Amino acid sequence: MRLTVAASWVESPLKAFVDDGRVRLAILLHSSGQVLGQFGFARSVDVMTACALAAATAASSAELGRLIDGRPFNAMHYVGVTQQIFLAPVPIEGGKLVLLAVFDEDSSLGLVQLFFQEFCATVKAIAPAASAGEPALDADFERELNRNLAVMFGRA
Amino acid sequence: MNSPFTQTLSALIRHRGVTGCMVVGESDGIIVDSSLQIGVNGSAVAALTASLYRKAQRASTAAGFGMTGFFELVAEGGRVCAAGRNEMVLVIVAGAKVNVGIIRMEMLKALESFP
Amino acid sequence: MVTDDIRALSEALAADPSSTVFLQLGEALRRQGQVELAYRVATRGLERHSQRFEVHDLVARIAVDRGDFARARTEWETVLLLAPGHSGAQKGLGFLCFQQGELAAASRYLGAALEASPGDQSLSAALDTVRAAIADEQRAPWERPTAALPATVGALESPARPFAAQPADARTLFAEVLGDAPQAALLIDADGYVMAGDYVTADGHDLGADLGAQLSGVSDEASRAMRHLGLGKWKQIVFESEAASVAMAPCGEGVLLVAAPRTVPLGFVRRLLERSLDRARRWLESGT
Repeated sequence: MRLTVAASWVESPLKAFVDDGRVRLAILLHSSGQVLGQFGFARSVDVMTACALAAATAASSAELGRLIDGRPFNAMHYVGVTQQIFLAPVPIEGGKLVLLAVFDEDSSLGLVQLFFQEFCATVKAIAPAASAGEPALDADFERELNRNLAVMFGRA
Repeated sequence: MNSPFTQTLSALIRHRGVTGCMVVGESDGIIVDSSLQIGVNGSAVAALTASLYRKAQRASTAAGFGMTGFFELVAEGGRVCAAGRNEMVLVIVAGAKVNVGIIRMEMLKALESFP
Repeated sequence: MVTDDIRALSEALAADPSSTVFLQLGEALRRQGQVELAYRVATRGLERHSQRFEVHDLVARIAVDRGDFARARTEWETVLLLAPGHSGAQKGLGFLCFQQGELAAASRYLGAALEASPGDQSLSAALDTVRAAIADEQRAPWERPTAALPATVGALESPARPFAAQPADARTLFAEVLGDAPQAALLIDADGYVMAGDYVTADGHDLGADLGAQLSGVSDEASRAMRHLGLGKWKQIVFESEAASVAMAPCGEGVLLVAAPRTVPLGFVRRLLERSLDRARRWLESGT
């Protein structure tokens, strides 16, 4: 399984999270849905779909939190039959990114939470402020998205 | 608020050298209840020890030895003991010089009272 | 099967998820020791090809490697429904019945498989083992050939064991430390291969490779835990299971492992570990 990134600063913390947390799939993305790095996906179309769904789910959850609790919900955890999903905002200067991780019985929620905390601390320290991702302009969004995917899957 | 494990944990933490004890979900590595001294990172101990215990459990079963009972990891700066029952793991963090024989007996005895 | 082949098979499967290339991929992963990944590949394939007996057979073999004997039994029973008389399923069920103490059923399955393949020496060896177990039922648990089951499975799969035999002096490295008692010591390298020592069961099977592969993963897990717990390096792991007490410690680039019956006091198992460590270090440093 290869880890691929669209921005070089993503590689080290994402690799550490994947290795220590023993997750099967992981994606770090802008809250707009643009991918910054991924592990475990074989096809760019899967990354694109996962990013879109993760961004939408994170946004929905944040709004639901604001509505119910006056503030966005934090991490989300879904349990499937054999796999589990962990989806959480990654705070950085000037905004936030989103991390989606999929894991199975080789890991656990406790481990993923533990290494996610370390991941957040590292990312916060090294992520360029611009990575918070000012909302992508409509005109540029698709081009940016495709560029990132092309970089990661070696077609740039 | 007391849990079904409060009494067990209160008794275990009183042993000389024990710095933390907790009941952890075996599959998720999340703390169910704990009694920790200041400075012990309970969630890290819980997640990592439950994972170690699970790994030993699987390896032991696959090697034909059957299910794991008591588990102990000795490190330069202390030790971690674990024993599981009913999808829960009782975990103890202790200094290197603790009387592990007593701890082991107490842990196995405590497991019998697990719901 | 090398990693490149696995990558090629993975790509072939990604290109055509409905193909049966997952059978080769699952088996390749299983043989490489990536049991969980093999299991995922096989069970996903099973969702698409549930009427193919080969798929159930693959899932059963992987389930055995995972220690999930109930699943393995169900899958091999399904194989016999789909392909009555399937020799591999009969062998597998023979093994499982043996493992669960159903010696008569084990003998029946293995006997049927042997009738179908009279020249299969692994089958006649397995049947001999079962018959010996029936005769030895009254012996002490540690001496019973139950522990030989993984070796039986190995013998059922192929004549070539995944790990080559070690030189005689390496195999007997710990003989002096262990004495004649039914206990074992193994020196495992960083990849999970046996470097020295053996684990021979009452019926003469050496399970060292199986044991080493299974238990060396525990030390990887311990190393990760140590990086995050602030307790320094790990020095020793001891655990008690239903049948044995196991102690392990880092040694060179790998790990040293000692196993003894539960009847042996835990403190003595630790002593055996320490003595075996001394012996292994001397051997690693000076070759003597």
